[in-house]
Amino acid sequence: MNVQQGTPQRARGALVWLDMDQRALDDAYDQVVYAPNRDQVHKRNEFNSERVRRRLGQPKRLAYGPTPVEQLDLFPTKQAGAPINVFIHGGAWRQRWAKDYHFLAEMFVNAGANFIALDFIGVDKTGGDLLPMADQVRRAVAWIYQNAKSFGGDPNRIYLSAHSSGAHLGGNVVTTDWKTYGAPNNVIKGALLGSGIYDLKPVRLSKRSEYVKFTDEVEAKLSSQRHLDLLNCPLIVAHGTFETPEFQRQARDFAVAVKAAGKSVTLLVAEGYNHFEMCEMLGNPLSLIGSAALEQMKLA
Amino acid sequence: MNVRPDTTRDPSRPLGPLVWLDMDQQALDDAYDQEVYAPNRELVVARRHAASERARARLGPPKRVAYGPSEHEGLDIFDGGTGGAPVNVFVHGGAWRRNRAADYALQAEVLVRAGAHSVILDFINVDQAGGDLFPMYEQVRRGLAWVWRNAKSFGGDPDRVYVSAHSSGSHLAGVALTRGWQEEKLPRDAFKGAVLLSGMYDLHPVRLSKRSSYVKFTDAMVQELSGQRHIAGLHTPLILAHGTAETPEFQRQTRDFAAAATAAGKSAQLIVGAGYNHFELLETLANPYGLLGRAMLEQMRLAPN
Repeated sequence: MNVQQGTPQRARGALVWLDMDQRALDDAYDQVVYAPNRDQVHKRNEFNSERVRRRLGQPKRLAYGPTPVEQLDLFPTKQAGAPINVFIHGGAWRQRWAKDYHFLAEMFVNAGANFIALDFIGVDKTGGDLLPMADQVRRAVAWIYQNAKSFGGDPNRIYLSAHSSGAHLGGNVVTTDWKTYGAPNNVIKGALLGSGIYDLKPVRLSKRSEYVKFTDEVEAKLSSQRHLDLLNCPLIVAHGTFETPEFQRQARDFAVAVKAAGKSVTLLVAEGYNHFEMCEMLGNPLSLIGSAALEQMKLA
Repeated sequence: MNVRPDTTRDPSRPLGPLVWLDMDQQALDDAYDQEVYAPNRELVVARRHAASERARARLGPPKRVAYGPSEHEGLDIFDGGTGGAPVNVFVHGGAWRRNRAADYALQAEVLVRAGAHSVILDFINVDQAGGDLFPMYEQVRRGLAWVWRNAKSFGGDPDRVYVSAHSSGSHLAGVALTRGWQEEKLPRDAFKGAVLLSGMYDLHPVRLSKRSSYVKFTDAMVQELSGQRHIAGLHTPLILAHGTAETPEFQRQTRDFAAAATAAGKSAQLIVGAGYNHFELLETLANPYGLLGRAMLEQMRLAPN
């Protein structure tokens, strides 16, 4: 029995994007339609995060900006001068916290990297604007670069991992003009973007526009696929075969575009994984995704 | 949305006569049918096969050894790389009727990377055995004994032999660890620890379920092959695990066995995996940072890698 299912057979309405009518497009941006075990996987993430905190202790909570939400959780590794993995969580831009992803920390810490999970504002608190979210994660990366030595991190070995709407923001981070942020253009040495969104146009056409105030400016500035000239690091782009058609296409098209721009990209397609299970894979060094993250950081 | 129901009983369906605890026949049958509670079974199994192929590609083919006279009695040894290394023997599940060692190569990688040998048993299935569980049990018992006796032949340390098992494999391992070692005339502490996932430790309710359509349960089988009834013979520290999204009976079997072992003064740690179903729980054993992979390595005093 296949539990991941798309839109059932029904009369099709006018096409609004590619071969999709409004309902199909809405479904393609609604994870639970294709991943009915969403809440169960989230429960596992929280449960496993608690177990990791019991083993590693509470992370250091550090402020990277002036507002209360602009903080990060740092799990330091033993050696000084070690590389850093910065994780940007997903949650449709509106849910989840850094603490729900502590389960990812132990693999990186044991492999010899500092692990940082970012908190940042949710779109419901910004009046539907995505620009402050992108600005916060970019400032977080600049802060980490400027302060890495204070916590034993190597500012010249900062890597990114990100999932879902976090991978959308991660796409923005790797296509940042860093001059205004006080960091070098090659501040990110590599990024693994899992199950993300790289062009906002179809998202804008979907029911996500009920809670995200897409404007031409937001769409233009925060579609990383339109700013590949600024891309300065090798990318790993990943999706699962049980993700929605749009989340599969976004990853595929982004990878093609990056390659066409003459930049380094690897597309990983995880057979049999849905959107939320993809994020679990990142915490397993034997998995397609976890092993790729470690190899990118030269820790495998 | 929760896709794994707490109960499968349609409230509009009248409850039939109770056949076991608070369950009527339909509820009990469902509680011994994994797919009712784990609708993504095939998907998770496909992932396991793919991961096993990846593992075999990375580790190379295992050494294949016969541990008994019949064609079924073979085992795969994945070399941990160093002489005198600890050993873990895995007993697979599959409702006593499915699966083979080759499809569990992913279990080896966690161990080999941590510096242990991984042994994965093949054994007859219940359909090949005409519905009889005894030949399965006897083969698993012989397989475990072979590993203990021959550990040095493949660079293993006989004083550090551990067991891991899943589902019906945990049932068979549970019997081997409570009484099998005596039948094989092994020292009582031959196995230094075991992680048993999602198993069955008393066959009585299983006999009452629709599983009796393919398992020919007898009074002797229920009595002799219920690990919980032989707990006095248990001398191996156990980690017993189930997921919260498993069937009610698979949760209860593990919980009750853990309680019985503890009440008998034995070492048993219960791990309840929040949000895991029967098949997803096993995936965590193949991850050094997963719920049970981490627990297994800790039990074996190995660092995850």
